[in-house]
This record gives sequence, C-alpha cells and structure tokens, in this order.
Amino acid sequence: MPSRTLYGIPVSAGIAIGRAYCLNKSHFSGTARQTVDDADVPHEKERLNRAFDAALQDLERILNLVPEDLKEHSAIIESHLMMLRDHKFRKRALDHIENTRINAEWALERAVGDLQEVFSAIADEYLRQRMQDVRLVAERILGKLVGGANGLNAITHRAILLAHDLSPADTIELDVNKIMAFATAQGGKTSHAGILARSLQIPAVVGVEGLGDDLAEGNIIILDGFHGRIILEPDEDELARYTDLQAQFEGYQATIMRSCHLPAETIDGYRVQVLANIELFEEVVAVNDNGGEGVGLYRSEYSYLSRDGMPSEEELTEIYMDMASLVAPKKLVIRTLDVGADKLMRMQSATEPNPALGLRAIRYCLKHRDVFRTQLRAILKASVLGNVSIMFPMISGLQELVEVKKFYREVQREMHAEGICFREDMPVGIMVEVPSAVITADFLAREVDFFSIGTNDLIQYSLGIDRTNKDVSYLYQPLHPAIVRSIKWVVDSAHRAGIEVCLCGELAADPFCIPVLMGMQVDSISLGPHAIPGIKRIVRQASMEECSALLKQVMTSQSVARNNKLVREMIFRRFPEELMFYSSLVDE
Amino acid sequence: MDDVQEKIIRVGNSLGLHARPAGKISQEAQRYAATITVHSCEMEADAKSILDLLSLAAPQGTELRLRAHGPDAAQAILSLTRMFEDMFGEDR
Repeated sequence: MPSRTLYGIPVSAGIAIGRAYCLNKSHFSGTARQTVDDADVPHEKERLNRAFDAALQDLERILNLVPEDLKEHSAIIESHLMMLRDHKFRKRALDHIENTRINAEWALERAVGDLQEVFSAIADEYLRQRMQDVRLVAERILGKLVGGANGLNAITHRAILLAHDLSPADTIELDVNKIMAFATAQGGKTSHAGILARSLQIPAVVGVEGLGDDLAEGNIIILDGFHGRIILEPDEDELARYTDLQAQFEGYQATIMRSCHLPAETIDGYRVQVLANIELFEEVVAVNDNGGEGVGLYRSEYSYLSRDGMPSEEELTEIYMDMASLVAPKKLVIRTLDVGADKLMRMQSATEPNPALGLRAIRYCLKHRDVFRTQLRAILKASVLGNVSIMFPMISGLQELVEVKKFYREVQREMHAEGICFREDMPVGIMVEVPSAVITADFLAREVDFFSIGTNDLIQYSLGIDRTNKDVSYLYQPLHPAIVRSIKWVVDSAHRAGIEVCLCGELAADPFCIPVLMGMQVDSISLGPHAIPGIKRIVRQASMEECSALLKQVMTSQSVARNNKLVREMIFRRFPEELMFYSSLVDE
Repeated sequence: MDDVQEKIIRVGNSLGLHARPAGKISQEAQRYAATITVHSCEMEADAKSILDLLSLAAPQGTELRLRAHGPDAAQAILSLTRMFEDMFGEDR
C-alpha cells in the first residue's frame, strides 16, 4: 500500500516515529446522530448531565495544575469553566433531547449550533471568536459522552498526538514523557501550540490539511517537524530513511551544543555577537545553556499582560533588577512596552479598526505618560546593576524620537531631584521597524547609541501584508529587494554614525538568511535561545569573503526568486545539514 | 414579595462586555434568587448565563437595562450596578 503524506506548517524541529494517538477523535462530524425512544429520554438526559459534570471536574482539576509562570492560561480556563456552568447552555441541550427525542451527542451539537448562529452575527471580531472557546468546551463534554478513554490522561504509551486543536488546558496537561510530538489541524506559525512545542523541544506541525478522524489510530506514523510532513502508513524505505535522519539530527544537535559556547567568529576572523530574545525571567537559563552572549531583546510586556491593572514601579524595578543581575556581566537590552496590535492589554481599547497601524508601542506610551514614566523609572533604577540598555520600539521618525528623549530626560531630572541613583550614560537605542524610520535612519542614528532592526514588523509594514492572512502570506518574502536594501541602508547609516546595529526578529534565526546579514556586517543578532547553537555553527564555518560575495549578488538582483535561489545554493553547497534540518522563511 | 427593579447602566470599561466581565456578572447574578435580565436594544440576555451575556456583544459606551424580578431584586440590581460602575476592576 502506498504511503500517504499530509502537509502542514512546521513549528518545531525534529523527527518523531511512533504510534498515532488521536485526541477527541469523535469530533462533531463523526458523532453518530440517533433518535431515542420516549422511554430513553430520562436516561439520555442523565448521560448529558453526567458528561457536563465530569467535564467540569476535569477543568477544575486542571485549573489547579496551572503553574505560576503560565498564569495567563488561568483566565481562559476560568472562562471555559464558566461556560460549562452556564445553566442556559446546559438547559438548551437538555431541551433538545426532551423536545426532539435525539441522543445526547446530537443535542449538544444542536445547542452549539444555536449559539453559533447568535455569535456569527456579532460584529466585534474578538467576541465573535469566543465561539471557538464554546467549541473547545463542547468537545470536552463530547469526549465524556463517547467514553472517557480519549483524553490526554488516557495515553498509556509514548505516542504522536494528533488533534483538531490543542486548548490551553490541553497544553498544560501535555506530558513530554508520553507525547513524542504533535500535529494539529488548526493553528499557524505563531500559534500558542507551536510556542509550547519549541519550549518543550518536541517536534510539531500545525495547520495540517486533511488531519481528520479517519486516521488509523495506533498505526506507526512519521512526523517531520523540519518540513511539516506527516507520513501515514510509511513503507520500510521511508521508515529507514527517517530513522537515519532522526539519528543524524540527534548527532547534529549534540555537535552544535558542544560548540555553542565558542564565539561566533567566521574562519576569516569576523566576529558577530549572538544575543537572545526573551520574555520571561526563567528563559535566562536557556540563554546561558545555549551559548547566548547576552539578551538583545527583553520583551517587557509580560508584566503588563499577565495581570489585572498596571504593575507598580516597585514591582517592575524588582523584576528588572533581578534580571539585570542574573544576566550580568552580559548585556541586557530592555525594550519598553510594546503593546497593541497582536498583544492587546485589557486596559486598551479593542475597537481600533486597524490595530497594527494604531495606538501601539511608543505611541501608546507617549499618550499614557504615567504608564511610560513608571517603566522608565524602573529601568533607570535597575541601570545601576549589571549591563542594562534601554530601547524604544516603533519609532517612526525624528520628531517622535526627540519627544521620547525629552520625556526620558525629564524623568531623569525628577529622579535626580529625588536623590535616586541611576546610570546616566545607560545606552539608549531604538527599534527600526517602521519604513519611515528606515528611510530616515541616517538622521535617527545621530540621536541614539544603537539600532535594533525588528525584521518581523519591518517586512510586514514594508510589503504591506499581514502574514497571518492566508491569502497574502505568500508575499511575505524576507529577501525581497526592498527588504534587503532597507536593512543594508540601516546598517550602513548606523556604521557611518559610529553606532552598533543589532538584528532581531525571525530573520536572525533563519539559517538561509544569516550569510546575507553577515555580509552586511551587522554587529549582533538576537534570536530565540534554542536557535542560537545552530546559527553560531553556521557563522563559525562561514567566511566573510563568501558572505560579502553573496551579498553583492543579492544587492544587484531585482527578483525575490533569484535571491532565494542564491541563498539556497550557498546553503546547499556549504551547509547541507542545515538544508535538511531547518525550515526557512525563504521559499523553495 | 414579587419585587421588580430596573436600572439603566452603561458599559464603561474599554474592552466592553467581553468574556471576563461577562463571567463576573453571571457569577454574581447566580447568587440571587431573582430572575435577572440584561436588555440591549431589542436583545435580552439572562444575567446568569455567560454565553447569553457574550451574545449581547456590548462594546464600551453601550447603554444596558438591568431588570430583576424576585425577592432579592433590589439587592441584585445594587450589586450588579456596582460592578458596572467599578468597570469590573479593569481600566484602573
């Protein structure tokens, strides 16, 4: 029998070969719809009631398991609990049994359908999406109805998990001792499940087309987290090939880990500093373990998003001081609050018609000076410890930067008057991620101590596309001549003004793009801690000579396709292992 | 005994009546014996049902009518009004 392959989006590298385990395999479409006799109505209602209660108990138990550092999950699980307790929802399902003599599964499906109708009429995008929560809740109940033996707890052997979607509650329950890898039908590159898989370091593929209920459970399958493939019913050749690949990857990982503490220096002596992007205190360990030379981007949003109301100056100071002393003597670059767009705070308005172009990051801070002042004071207080720099996001032009700096000095004067110590010469930098900042980079460079190029936003704003929109995501091309030229111009402007430039964003972790960036002579790159060893290895094997030559070709090329081909050829020639083990933003 | 109370209130928090406040309201409403409904234009929602409240889709500034009917109607209205005025602990 020929093997069948399903394709999805690779979100976490690695190969897993093992038995498939389908979570919630009786998704609604697969539920048997039956009518019941009058006499069985009480029994059917009792079944539904018991399923509701059992699901409730499960969620209550899971809520107690949520670890401290994943507190933002609690709110979601609590709202799921509230939906489970919703007497009207339960009554509606029970009424369907009573009135139309259908079985509990079908009645539940109908009750969800009723709600779907109401919710689909809601204009507000955020509220309309709560329907997804209702569905996750209903699936949990359904799981109880069709027999308890299909939850995560029921997994007895090591397996590859296949699911329609993983809810935050599911992910809390994931046991890496049993789950070798997972694939979901829902989700995209930036979805919650992917982030989780990378932090657990298990292979994962999301957004898999055709991942349905018809998958033979218990069969041996292969999950390829490099290329986003799931091979059902693999033949012997495929099994042998992937077992090989798996062993090679393990060997490769061991190799890169052994050399990850060596400096990232090309064979002809060009040195680039490799820093890490982090969000949580706990990640500092991973930075050190993976050979990070400091923190190039500390996202400060977590303290704001994970709680009700605003954090106090004291709370922030404590966090920043702890962080600064833990990272010391290495560099810690704290980016000031970057809320808005995808990271929405509760205190912000959700009704902006176009959040990506709205009141976000520095614009929000300039409008809410009290919030900004509190954070600036906390960062300044922490500056006396370790090696702290401050960085402002989303700067769009000189006037805005001058305004920010004016306020920053004002806060410094206040603190000085109060007799509070801070480091007056703490380096001040900006994120260059808005096209207008790119074009005026030569002006901006004279005003700050360093630049950090945020490529994720820069690409989206420059090319005018929302990458999460499936219809236009094909236009997300990091090697588009406009992007290459932009980055080159920013780097050159910085160097002409005698300041350093860091590149953070996914591009810095993309093995295919690194040689081009090296050719531009960026001073440092900042990337997710787990990607550091692989990138360092490429740098250590490359030469500035070949990177410069590659850049020259790329700079004169007029087409994305040619650029992609150029970098692929170089990687293929020089780093064949990377071609095998990494997925890239660069198209094939 | 069959006390009927009504009160007009406004959604003050910037995110509107999203999952969190809806959960808080339904939880509070369940503490009362009275039948409590929330009206917005022609729509009516059971205040004890989070899903009903969510389906009102009331953004910031929406005018809502609280209506309680039952022995402890007055207390229920008082306490729910206070939650709206306090903006559910948001926007502080």
